[in-house]
Amino acid sequence: MARKVRNKLAISVGRVVAAASRASKRGEGMVVGGRAMLTISPKLLGDLADDRVWALVSSTNGKTSTTRLLATAAEQAGRVVTQPTGANMTAGIVSALATGPANGHAVLEVDEAYLPQIMSATHPKVLILGNLSRDQLDRMSEVAMIARKWRTMLAAHPETVVIANADDPIVVFAAQCAKNVIWVGAGQAWTADSAVCPECGELLTRGSSVADSQWSCPGCKRARPHPSWHLEYADGHGTVTDPVGQRFDLSTLSLPGRFNASNAILALVAAVELGLEPLDAIRRMSAVTSVSGRYAIMKVGSLQIRLLLAKNPAGWSELVDIMPTAPAPVIVTINSNAADGRDPSWLWDVPFERLRGRTVIATGERRADLAVRLLHAGVDHVVVEDPYSPDADLPGGARSLDVIDCAATYTAFHALRTRADRELQSALGAVPCR
Amino acid sequence: MSMIRIASIYPTLLGTYGDGGNVAALAHRGALHDIPVEIIEVIPGMAVPRQADLYLLGGGEDTAQVAAATALRADGGLADAAARGATVLAICAGYQLLGEYFPDATGSRTNGLGILDIRTDRLLTRAVGELVAAPDEANNTLGITDLFTGYENHAGATHRGPGVASLGTVLAGVGNGDGGGGRGTGNSRATEGSVFGRIIGTYLHGPCLARNPQLADRLISWVVGRELPSIPEPEVEALRQERLRAVLG
Repeated sequence: MARKVRNKLAISVGRVVAAASRASKRGEGMVVGGRAMLTISPKLLGDLADDRVWALVSSTNGKTSTTRLLATAAEQAGRVVTQPTGANMTAGIVSALATGPANGHAVLEVDEAYLPQIMSATHPKVLILGNLSRDQLDRMSEVAMIARKWRTMLAAHPETVVIANADDPIVVFAAQCAKNVIWVGAGQAWTADSAVCPECGELLTRGSSVADSQWSCPGCKRARPHPSWHLEYADGHGTVTDPVGQRFDLSTLSLPGRFNASNAILALVAAVELGLEPLDAIRRMSAVTSVSGRYAIMKVGSLQIRLLLAKNPAGWSELVDIMPTAPAPVIVTINSNAADGRDPSWLWDVPFERLRGRTVIATGERRADLAVRLLHAGVDHVVVEDPYSPDADLPGGARSLDVIDCAATYTAFHALRTRADRELQSALGAVPCR
Repeated sequence: MSMIRIASIYPTLLGTYGDGGNVAALAHRGALHDIPVEIIEVIPGMAVPRQADLYLLGGGEDTAQVAAATALRADGGLADAAARGATVLAICAGYQLLGEYFPDATGSRTNGLGILDIRTDRLLTRAVGELVAAPDEANNTLGITDLFTGYENHAGATHRGPGVASLGTVLAGVGNGDGGGGRGTGNSRATEGSVFGRIIGTYLHGPCLARNPQLADRLISWVVGRELPSIPEPEVEALRQERLRAVLG
């Protein structure tokens, strides 16, 4: 069968499979649809990518938000193809390209382990590398191993401009193999996964604070590259300085926290590299209020929640800063399905001690693990199977909050979104329309 | 005894899998027994204290493991402490580096500290998943009666020398990888961990001491020189039951 005909057939079959999946309320169908397409036409990704992939974004934390920010900014140049959800492995990416606007420029997030094969198939103009830290160690293997795979990949792709966070020594180790790199001082609060030099194993020397992001290796003399762009962040406001000293104010961003300013500077540098206008890019990025449900406020059962994605220690260490202050109770929900990582021992690397002074409502499939962690952290907690039920026994103050923060691992996060949608639909359906 | 001194060895190198929780668990169990603990965090470049009571080593990545072994060999403090009978608990990468040799990132043999008579080679397939072991030998050596529960994530096949007892018999998972079978084969010869005097090595993450409080209490009791009463905690018992049910059915 001719390749074009085969591709066409693959896409129509994939669409049907995806629609069936949506109709049976199994999800958005991106992944099953993409899988069906790839079964019929294994080389579909390369053909769909053609020459229109503007950017790939990979990172342990922040890849979905950075992708959304850049995709939104890129709309100034016309229609953009991106994943509507976090489906960031081969099937999800094929699906996004097959079903998005034809000929639209593509801005795609990519799973860290899948990045080498997606790079080879799509030849992006720019690649954003944000940070690498421990996450899903059962699946991802260890952090340095991913970095070594990225090095081999980048050496093979001299055509791609790499936009890399100079403040993450592991990202630098990987990106130094690229022919063309733009170093960005995007900040990094979590340093536990880059204690030693990935090259020679010596302990890295670091600046004394988060604001002082210098690092160097006393062994092989590797050091933080001088960034051409950098972010300063203080009192909730980010400011970007470009290579010629021009400053851009990020305080209009709607997404909260230092880490989102860090996502935004990476997206901004990519936008400029792609020939987009920076002030318009910032204006568009500022309109993004929620990314695939992150920070969205929704009603689940009897509670109004603000949904936060909290899937690993690095992400957690920044998330506590944006929660309302104690004694406001918070819900923490921990699962250990494949997409969460099967081993929740990372909970012991999360500084839960910072939640002292409030009561944590521990839930999710691994609530028993969380309860033991909170016990050791000296944090008051209650273990509740379904805190959203009107009958749930919640700590004082939980029901009087207008909105309660709920930090959830990946699959718990998506289960809550689905539940909120379903409950909203059925509430609307219950209104008599005659 | 006024205060027990716990040296946490190189947490920046050996702490990938939440093993910092073992320090927290010892402090926590100590407090339950009214035994105060002092934590000495030993970072690379700092001398390993000779006079601590209990030494803890966690898991780590390949490069970090080699760096830790090199630094510990050069320092000599841990070997001295072990020789005078100090208590040592070493997890995963920390366990392997106590032995004669272990594989580096490329699979070549790297010299360990030779404190424990074990040798580690590569497993054919990485062992990743829940690990449960029955305390057959640990019952004799440590007086432990509860099943060991934890999570393993390693590529080491660890062989014990003749004088080294195992911690237990694998009921689920791989453990030392000496059973000849793969995951969940229930091979009765598969063992987990090593015990030699007051040196314990294990592949149990979880963290190990948070999920196995009998083991935490045994370490503390060795240091204080008396038996400790059993003080079960509901959260911990609930977690143990939930995990054992999930793995063993």
